[in-house]
Amino acid sequence: MVRTLTAATVLVAALAAQSGAFAQSPDWAKIRIGVEANYPPFSQMSPDGKFSGFDIDIASAICAQIKAECTMVSQEWDGMMPALNAKKFDMIVASMSITEERKKSADFSDSYYDIPSTWIGKTGSFSTINPAALKGKKIIVTRNTPRARFVQDNYKESEVLLVAKEAEVTMELAAGRGDIGFGSSLAATAAFLKAPEGRSFSRLGAPVILGGAAQGGGVGIAMRKGEDALRMKVNAGLKAISGNGVYKTINDKYFDVNIRGE
Amino acid sequence: MLHGYLPAILEGLVLTLKVSALSLAIACVFGLIGASAKLSESRAARWSAEVYTTLIRGLPELVLMLLIFYGGQIGINRLADAQGWGYIDIPPFLAGVLTIGFIFGAYLTETFRGAILAVPRGQAEAGLAFALSRTQVLWRIVLPQMVRHAIPGFANNWLIMIKASALVSIIGLDDMVHRAGLAAATTRAPFTFYMAVALIYLTLTSVSIFVLSRVEARYSLGVKKVQF
Repeated sequence: MVRTLTAATVLVAALAAQSGAFAQSPDWAKIRIGVEANYPPFSQMSPDGKFSGFDIDIASAICAQIKAECTMVSQEWDGMMPALNAKKFDMIVASMSITEERKKSADFSDSYYDIPSTWIGKTGSFSTINPAALKGKKIIVTRNTPRARFVQDNYKESEVLLVAKEAEVTMELAAGRGDIGFGSSLAATAAFLKAPEGRSFSRLGAPVILGGAAQGGGVGIAMRKGEDALRMKVNAGLKAISGNGVYKTINDKYFDVNIRGE
Repeated sequence: MLHGYLPAILEGLVLTLKVSALSLAIACVFGLIGASAKLSESRAARWSAEVYTTLIRGLPELVLMLLIFYGGQIGINRLADAQGWGYIDIPPFLAGVLTIGFIFGAYLTETFRGAILAVPRGQAEAGLAFALSRTQVLWRIVLPQMVRHAIPGFANNWLIMIKASALVSIIGLDDMVHRAGLAAATTRAPFTFYMAVALIYLTLTSVSIFVLSRVEARYSLGVKKVQF
């Protein structure tokens, strides 16, 4: 017993030694950024385990612009907001839509992109999309997103299948667990339609614009409430890369349309 | 192989194994302390052990993990801000290992308690009558014999724990399941990756079952096995 306890004490002490206290830089010369890799092509993991994608490139470009030394911290989507508020990192660059609800727990930068949402389903399955046409049908949508809210508010007579991640909308759709998916018109949807399993599916109806950048919607960089110095710095950086062509280069690397949404 | 993601997944496997092994060590410590407390003569020790096993076994692992990792961090931040210490980070690895160890310690408490009770009381009494100290009785008489009774329950807990270690991805650790999930999202080949992960888990658990059955056989040397 005594030996076991001593071993445990040593173990815990060794583990604790790994954690060092480090001071936060008030001038934001060092920034830790929460990212994920579940939303290609915005964020994905390459075979060597490194994260890449539009979000990662934009984050790096802003950091270079504002001359900050940035560290990317990998974080599962579900833990993003708690981790931000627990100061695990200083901002989130993970295609997070700016919503009234999220604004209660974080401040957002200006929108860095804004793309319409789209309906997706078996080709020709629905000729019109409205609450009456989808009555009793099962709609697949990512939970905790403005899209989920839109569906729950407007399609009250339909069943809703909430999935954890954007990529699962098309996975579930391909597996036949719903009648129609509602997702981003780029990202998962575009890649899915090009893949073999997406061959019999297509976009249905007209693209839907929820909120939009003009009404303070779109996708932004989340920061802890009250970090105004950081927010102004990031906004200035974003404005600069949008003006000097860096944003356009990154945009064109991934998409054939401009998603800046200004 | 695996669209080139095999090395990335194997790196995740290393983390999964590290988390599982360290959590097991911590769970054993908590389990032994818990079992001794439950069998102790002190009412306070018995009560605290009872609260520990009831509370921990009654709450979902995920909830506990989030409470300890984020709740704990926010608590530490408040304290650090008030004292002006700056930011103190709880590393996710430490939090994950401690939480899983703490949780499974509660299950092992019950396993160990049952195993200790299975050793006939007379043996410990005989040891004491021969003037062995209490520690000697514990180490030389009770523990070697309880292992035999503890192995089946211990094996169960270990198997569940290896799989539960996948929960650490929620607190930002890059374990095998998390890696496979990201690779599946990136390549859009979920079946390939989850199948690979399933096979790796099956290998891990099969090896564990084999090793633990050998350990059980070793500790059962003094007991005749019934042949049918």
